[in-house]
Amino acid sequence: MTLFIQAQNLTLCFRPKNREPVTALTDLSLAVARGEFVRIVGPSGCGKSTFLNIVLGLIRQDSGTLELNGTPITGPSQERAMVFQEFGLLPWRTVAANVELGLELKGTPAAERAKRTAELIKLVGLNGFESHYPHELSGGMKQRVGLARALATEPEVLLMDEPFAALDAQTRDLLQMELLQIWEHTKKTVLFENHSIEEAAYLSDRVIVMTARPGRTKDVLQIDLPRPRDYEMRLTPEFNEIKLRIWEVLKDELSSRSYT
Amino acid sequence: MSAREHFAEHRRFYIGISSVIVLVLAWELILTYIFPVNPFFFTKPSLIATAFKEQIQGAKLWHDLAVSSQAFIWGFSFAVIVGIPVGLVMGWRRRVEYSLDPFLTALYASPLVALAPLFIIVFGVGVLGKAALVFLLAVFPFVFNTFAGVKSTDSLLINVIHSFGGGEKDLYVKVILPSTLPYIIAGARLAIGRGLVGIIVGEFYAASEGIGFAISQAGDTYRLPEMFVGIIILSLIAVALTELMRKLELTIAPWRAGEEVR
Repeated sequence: MTLFIQAQNLTLCFRPKNREPVTALTDLSLAVARGEFVRIVGPSGCGKSTFLNIVLGLIRQDSGTLELNGTPITGPSQERAMVFQEFGLLPWRTVAANVELGLELKGTPAAERAKRTAELIKLVGLNGFESHYPHELSGGMKQRVGLARALATEPEVLLMDEPFAALDAQTRDLLQMELLQIWEHTKKTVLFENHSIEEAAYLSDRVIVMTARPGRTKDVLQIDLPRPRDYEMRLTPEFNEIKLRIWEVLKDELSSRSYT
Repeated sequence: MSAREHFAEHRRFYIGISSVIVLVLAWELILTYIFPVNPFFFTKPSLIATAFKEQIQGAKLWHDLAVSSQAFIWGFSFAVIVGIPVGLVMGWRRRVEYSLDPFLTALYASPLVALAPLFIIVFGVGVLGKAALVFLLAVFPFVFNTFAGVKSTDSLLINVIHSFGGGEKDLYVKVILPSTLPYIIAGARLAIGRGLVGIIVGEFYAASEGIGFAISQAGDTYRLPEMFVGIIILSLIAVALTELMRKLELTIAPWRAGEEVR
């Protein structure tokens, strides 16, 4: 396995004014291969989001190294794109204009942007909604726009920060399945964080379990279920066994939470 | 659509118009039958209506309006041109905010019309003096509302722009300005009211023409119907301009239509 993303001993401490410093990450190390779908699970507040933001290039670690394909990550770049939990759509832009945002910032010519946008809108199943504004869309549709926008710039790494957390259970299931299809089709490297064990087991090649804050890698579990995976697979004993394994690793962290 | 449905849909309009009619009728009837006051000291709608008709047929009213409008447009335009950029930079650059804050807060809180005599001395009795006064009164709502709009820009959207490699110019153009627009328009509504005050005070204080001068002169010479004509025209203008701002908001910020709660 060739290493694509490699994090070694990442440490980050937030020092908010007039408040106690918070150590978000200590000695977080992990490695991801190209094209892998990796889930990061951990108790809420364990620093998962912080880690994704470091990979995205929005914040810098205090110490440790983070490399993408052998090059240190020092800031944002269009080779990495994030699907945000709260969508992050610009309310004054239509669906099409939102999907185009990254291409626009990259300086892609208008004709090419339009073509690429149309493809992506089709890919995420939003045909006919191109000129709708975000406030006219359901939560699930908004996140489809978020996903299309992230894919538009053809990033090598797709970062997903609990992207389906704000959606209802059925929409979440549906989008998980569609995401899986899109991933099988595009073979991006995906770092997906959430705290649902079920979703982690269902969608990933590997599940990285993080400790409670300050976050560290606690364990890495290989998920050797056949692909493509479908909904029925979730009812098999093998699937449940994997869920149990993840739970075994995670449960101590949930009970040792030192904050509320 | 039946008459009843038509009424239900435009309830707001019909009830509003009825209450205006009731008030005007009551005013007229009370002054005609219950307290027949000497028209020298108070007036009633029928007399105002007559004066209104005379005034809009004459040339003086239109000349006064043109004179006042000129000062208003100059002052207001400069308030827009100066107020919005200052508010934007203040909202985004902490150092600018801290250095301008004491002046702006003090000036915004003070009754600036008190400066009218100074402005007239410095800029003269003509259009310039009045325009300067309008500017002074109207610029603060633009500065403060733009500032507040920038401050309330969703930090997530700023992260989105950064994450795609966008720079500071992209932030301004693609996020900060559009998210601040509704605040600016709300500021414009306030600024219209304050700007009209600027005109009137300027013309009350020192002028030989203009709508404010016409009102004050009519009052001084006990021509109450004429005075009311000026006042009514001013309120019509204020309402029309405010309504225009609302329409403008729906045109340039259509996404707000879905967010607005009535």
